[in-house]
Amino acid sequence: MTGGASRAAVFRLPAATVVRAVLRKASGAGRASSAQSSPVRPSPVQSSQRAWKMKLKEIERTAVQAWSPANHHPIYLATGTSAQQLDASFSTNATLEIFEVDFRDPSLDMKQKGTLTASNRFHKLVWGNFGNGSPEPSGVIIGGGDNGVLTMYSAHHILTSKSEPVIGQTEKHSGPVRALDFNPFQSNLLASGANDSEIFIWDLNNFSVPMTPGTKSQPHEDISVVSWNRQVQHILSSAHPSGKAVVWDLRKNEPIIKVSDHSNRMHCSGMAWHPEVATQLVLSSEDDRLPVIQIWDLRFATSPLSQLEKHTRGVLSLSWCQADPELLLSSAKDNRILCWNPSVGEVVYELPIRSQWCFDVQWCPRNPSVFSAATFDGWINIYSVMGGNLEAQQKTQADKISSSFNSLLDPFGTGQILPPLQVPEQVAQTTSIPPLKKPPKWIRRPVGVSFAFGGKLISFGLAKAGQQMQQAHPHQVFISQVTTETEFLLRSRELQMALQSGNLLDYCQGKIQTAKLPFDENLWNFLKVNLEQDSRTKLLRLLGYSKEELQKKIASCLSNGIPDKQPLPEADETSAAQADQLLINSSDDGAAVSTSSTFFDSLIPQNMSTLEIPVTEDTDGLISQALLLGNFEGAVELCMRAERFADAIILAIAGGENLLKETQKRYFAKRQTKLSLLLSSIVQQNWQDIVRTCDLQSWKEALAILLTYSKHEDYTQLCDMLGARLESEGDAALCSDACLCYISSGNVERLVECWVKNHETSSPLALQVQDLIEKVMVLSRSVEMLQGTAGPAPGPVLAEQITQYASLLASQGCLAAAMSYLPSSSKELPMEQLRDRLFHAQGENVGDQQPPPFPYTRVNVGVIKHTSPAAKGGCAPERTAHKTGPRHPEKPNYQSPFAPSAPPQSSVPSLFTPQPVPAMSGTPHHVASPQAATGPQTGVYSRGPPYPQYNLGLAPATIAGPAVSQSQPFGPVGLGPVGAAPFPSQPSLPGQSMPVTSPSVQPPKPALFNPASVPSSQPPAACPLPMGSQPPMGFTLPFNSPMNIGYPQGGPGAPSTQPLPAASIPPPPTAQESWTDPSAVRGGLQKKKLPEKFTSPAPITAPVMSLPAEPQGINPQLSRLQESGQSPPGAPKEGSLQYHQLPVERVKKKEVPPEHQPLKITYEGLVQRCSAVATDPKTRRKLEDALQRLDCLYEKLREQTLSPTILMGLHEIAHCIEARNYQQGLLVHTQVVSSSSFSEVSGFMPILKVLMTIAGKLNV
Amino acid sequence: HDAQMDYYGTRLATCSSDRSVKIFDVRNGGQILIADLRGHEGPVWQVAWAHPMYGNILASCSYDRKVIIWKEENGTWEKTYEYTGHDSSVNSVCWAPHDYGLILACGSSDGAISLLSYTGDGQWEVKKISNAHTIGCNAVSWAPAVVPGSLIEQPSGQKPNYIKRFVSGGCDNLVKIWKEEDGQWKEEQKLEAHSDWVRDVAWAPSIGLPTSTIASCSQDGRVFIWTCDDASGNSWSPKLLHKFSDVVWHVSWSITANILAVSGGDNKVTLWKESVDGLWACISDVNKGQGGVSAVTEGQQNEQ
Repeated sequence: MTGGASRAAVFRLPAATVVRAVLRKASGAGRASSAQSSPVRPSPVQSSQRAWKMKLKEIERTAVQAWSPANHHPIYLATGTSAQQLDASFSTNATLEIFEVDFRDPSLDMKQKGTLTASNRFHKLVWGNFGNGSPEPSGVIIGGGDNGVLTMYSAHHILTSKSEPVIGQTEKHSGPVRALDFNPFQSNLLASGANDSEIFIWDLNNFSVPMTPGTKSQPHEDISVVSWNRQVQHILSSAHPSGKAVVWDLRKNEPIIKVSDHSNRMHCSGMAWHPEVATQLVLSSEDDRLPVIQIWDLRFATSPLSQLEKHTRGVLSLSWCQADPELLLSSAKDNRILCWNPSVGEVVYELPIRSQWCFDVQWCPRNPSVFSAATFDGWINIYSVMGGNLEAQQKTQADKISSSFNSLLDPFGTGQILPPLQVPEQVAQTTSIPPLKKPPKWIRRPVGVSFAFGGKLISFGLAKAGQQMQQAHPHQVFISQVTTETEFLLRSRELQMALQSGNLLDYCQGKIQTAKLPFDENLWNFLKVNLEQDSRTKLLRLLGYSKEELQKKIASCLSNGIPDKQPLPEADETSAAQADQLLINSSDDGAAVSTSSTFFDSLIPQNMSTLEIPVTEDTDGLISQALLLGNFEGAVELCMRAERFADAIILAIAGGENLLKETQKRYFAKRQTKLSLLLSSIVQQNWQDIVRTCDLQSWKEALAILLTYSKHEDYTQLCDMLGARLESEGDAALCSDACLCYISSGNVERLVECWVKNHETSSPLALQVQDLIEKVMVLSRSVEMLQGTAGPAPGPVLAEQITQYASLLASQGCLAAAMSYLPSSSKELPMEQLRDRLFHAQGENVGDQQPPPFPYTRVNVGVIKHTSPAAKGGCAPERTAHKTGPRHPEKPNYQSPFAPSAPPQSSVPSLFTPQPVPAMSGTPHHVASPQAATGPQTGVYSRGPPYPQYNLGLAPATIAGPAVSQSQPFGPVGLGPVGAAPFPSQPSLPGQSMPVTSPSVQPPKPALFNPASVPSSQPPAACPLPMGSQPPMGFTLPFNSPMNIGYPQGGPGAPSTQPLPAASIPPPPTAQESWTDPSAVRGGLQKKKLPEKFTSPAPITAPVMSLPAEPQGINPQLSRLQESGQSPPGAPKEGSLQYHQLPVERVKKKEVPPEHQPLKITYEGLVQRCSAVATDPKTRRKLEDALQRLDCLYEKLREQTLSPTILMGLHEIAHCIEARNYQQGLLVHTQVVSSSSFSEVSGFMPILKVLMTIAGKLNV
Repeated sequence: HDAQMDYYGTRLATCSSDRSVKIFDVRNGGQILIADLRGHEGPVWQVAWAHPMYGNILASCSYDRKVIIWKEENGTWEKTYEYTGHDSSVNSVCWAPHDYGLILACGSSDGAISLLSYTGDGQWEVKKISNAHTIGCNAVSWAPAVVPGSLIEQPSGQKPNYIKRFVSGGCDNLVKIWKEEDGQWKEEQKLEAHSDWVRDVAWAPSIGLPTSTIASCSQDGRVFIWTCDDASGNSWSPKLLHKFSDVVWHVSWSITANILAVSGGDNKVTLWKESVDGLWACISDVNKGQGGVSAVTEGQQNEQ
């Protein structure tokens, strides 16, 4: 470190200065005594509480100082009583102290950590790292004293005050040792300088014998500073008061260069090497005539590179910041402490004028924004260069000074007697000092990293050394994709592929094979079976019951001649399972209801060998008599009493239904065996009892019974009950079995709940979730196949899991995949939020999708253009989809909670497809105006009357092609004449089969119809039944099923029933109903708004009239919604769009001018025609996109901004489309595009082309 | 000096010593400069995106002692608020969880932390914690909005009773946790482990567990993971993630809170993950420029 030569300097000052110096000392002494007299120091400490200040710490010492080395923690400051300065006590005692500089403590005090009485006072202190490898790692402090004394202290010993702190001392030097410096590379090397050009190099390992850097320079003079080069370890320099600096090369043992100013007025007080540039050093001049700091480069050693000239009087001390070479501190006799940027010669910081000379400034090596300054008035202060206030402290010191002089001088005389007259009066005035003008290097973040959504990692840093671009682009920001869960991703991809290809059976098979736990394997087996046809039988087999085997067993049993007279007891005796099997076997006949009787029937013949009618008075006789008289009741009674149960029952069968039941009941009441309970349950079809009472260990049997007998609609419920019991009453193993039950019932939600509860495994979270989701997805897919509809919105637990899964996927960068798992139907807030985020995160990749509703309440920030109550800070995260606050045009915030389906969903069609409620509302328009090309408004309803309910019903279900196919068979049956009419042009009807997927056991129920399900599964024959028997029901139910099959509690259930009345109500109200209902579901806003729009009870043709004031414009959301895979393929094209004003937008849009209506009608018709046929997801997406983009065209049409040429072209294209001449259309298209400005047509022309191309391909 | 993506990961804001804040559209791997925000008079240290429910809002802080809040309106970015209440370099800005409203915490070299809350109508309310960190505050990071003791969504309309907390790190080597009580910010915890400036702190996003986690990194090369299991938030225990050989400048949690990215003075970025047994392991070095999706070039660094 530099800058310790001030004492000498003081005495070299001109006479006048000396006087002042003495005064300084006196004042310092005075203050010292005053401080002693009043141990409780006044304001500074308190002031620290209230203001940000630049002075951080202070101690009252007349001392030289040394910071602990940079690697040392905590930070200490060593002070040694300054030689050649006396305080008022004239004490010659010397003290070496160590203070802890603890910035955690906001007070100005520093804690004294160690103290020691020294033999000598100090000219210079340095603190080095020597000995840091030892167990006492605090380094050594070297003090340079009078008479050539050099003392080495162990800092550790001082701090602990246990052992002798002095670990070395020499007196090799002559005169005071003012210059000391540790070699920055070798902590054992110390350079010292004293009088007579004496420079020694000490090896602290051998403190007795110093080396010299070479022959003493001539003429002999004092050494004010020695300093090691910061870059080259064998270079040392020394500076002399004469202004000369000598650079030594220790390898050569000689001075290699001498630097000296020609002026000869340079009076060298400080010297420092550049921290980074090996050839540069600075010298400071103490001479008031030349108060400069010179920067030298040894490569041009003839004259200084530059001179820093802001000090008005001699510079006393220098310190170069090691953390930032562009910061150089200097203190001077003008009382100022300046911080320079030496490379540009600018003062970047100035401490406010102080009243005292500072003879030593030192940067703190560890905390770079802090430096210490020791002043002649006996204070060591620690300041920050980050700016601050000095008010309190100045006042204090002024007060102190005045008090210490006891008004001998003017209280403010301190300021006046200072030489530089331009010093402004700062006392008692708040001085706010800005931080360094130049941002210090240490505050600049050179590198950084941050995570962003989707597993992206943004990092930036210094350009790599090897990079060529370094000059041009010093900073680059990198965006990387972080993927950490490779196994997870792999499995997720597999799942994704399986789901997309629909090849779930193979997928399950694979899972079964790779399953590690038996339970897992079981689970997958169950899942797989669920996907298969005839799943119940197979499930039975899984549970260990095979019909064929049983058949064999029975056959062998029978052929073995075991008497079969008492089959029931026999079964009882053997095993319950056997009985189970028997019973199960019997169910092969199909009708569960009749099972028991046929079973017993089959036994009868064997029982009857010869007919012999006894008429005795014993029981037999009585029975006979009763029988003879047809008194079955009596006969049965007799039989029962005689415990001739078989007889009783046989008789009861003959005696009629009631008697049979009664008898059964009594029989079971009497025969209390294990089996009887089972029998009774089965015979009385009391499955609930079985589920409720069965021993949990035999849950399999219970499940088997359910599988065999229970009706479909009860089945799921019963399975769930069983599962619930297993879950709540059983142990962990049974809980796993509960999962199997839920799988059997297809209850995804419960499965998840159970799973989550019971699967705290140690595997990584991601894989856990993956495990679960795999199962969930397969199961829900199978449920969908079974029911032919998308499942209901997931419940909270499932939603949480799915959301977690999706966010995991997202965190691995699979945004699209993540999106595909999130059903837009869910109202779970986290899910909606994630959807929103995912959607936008995907950027333009999903441009053809509808943005999901924004799941937050918007708050407008900024100077208000539109005031709104919502624009308040601190709003709670309400889930209001429709906010009343200001809209942000830049973000889509149409809050229909029924978000449109995302493309992933079209590629994974049945996975949680969104609830098609919106489609319902939209459908009437589509369907209603098939031919109303001319008047869209009237068209909407003009076709309504004949078959509105038909369309209503159909719409939601027509997700995929097959659905349409049903319309043909259905139509005529349900609606008579109208049915076929609306679908004249359905070219591709992939399968006419009825996709009724009800399990075989059940008589088909309407609820089981699922138009969208796999076409192959069911015989078409099944359909007429519901159709014929209950036409309206038959229609509505199946088609509403997407919303609430089996889950009637689902919110959107309401509208599903609404179409019903429509069937019987005259058309206009129907239309209204269908309008209002779905929207009612949609909640708040619509509810309020709809009535205005649709209350008009006008005839069908009237909607126009009720609507003109309403936005005729398209609500893009809705329209796309309708198009996005849900519009009935056969639905007519036009008209629909006019009525999209589900009142989402308030903006009133002008209508498309009537002359251009045909354009719209034609184009949209084309989209619909295409959507009807298009099967592959890609095309469908394009089509969805098309509608959206066409809006752009309509917008332009509305605004009438298009040039006549373009308009003509558009009409021509429309004609071509009408004529199905897409080839020609494309030609016209090309012409239009080539003849008009790109910007004018770029919004919509490309999509027209795409449309026509698709249409051509699809041949629609 | 900073690069942050917005909520959706579609836009990237960068800031540098050339006093500019730049916004890039980085969708689909592209990079289009969409805005160059000028207004700071010194190097800009950090940027922070507000939640999209408040519109497109970006905060930036600079050596010039200013915090500027920018807002996009109809495609143009404008200053919507400028805060000049700090006396020294403002080193860090961080938006509170959106649930609390629009609140920005700013940490400055003057040792204070300011909290700017939007009160509507273009008005901002300022609360200042003076002397939060002696010599300066380097980083602030909010705790996720978790209602203590309940992970279930509160009935809508009813404002959940959040306890607002944030963490700060400073030149006093301390990590401090601040808590709002009766509208006043109080120092709740003082976490001591670092032996040098705390350069960055990052409170991990909540993943539904009751544990709170904070990462802090320091000039001393150490990265600590602080965890607190109890809801009262009183007992924090540090775990040393790693001692690096150089300054650690930044720590950042992944959205799912399971990966910590660490950026050190050696120009390396490392990713850390906690194993099941609670040990932190480095799972990868991020090789800049390799496998990176894209590289955005920041403008020339102009110092002064």
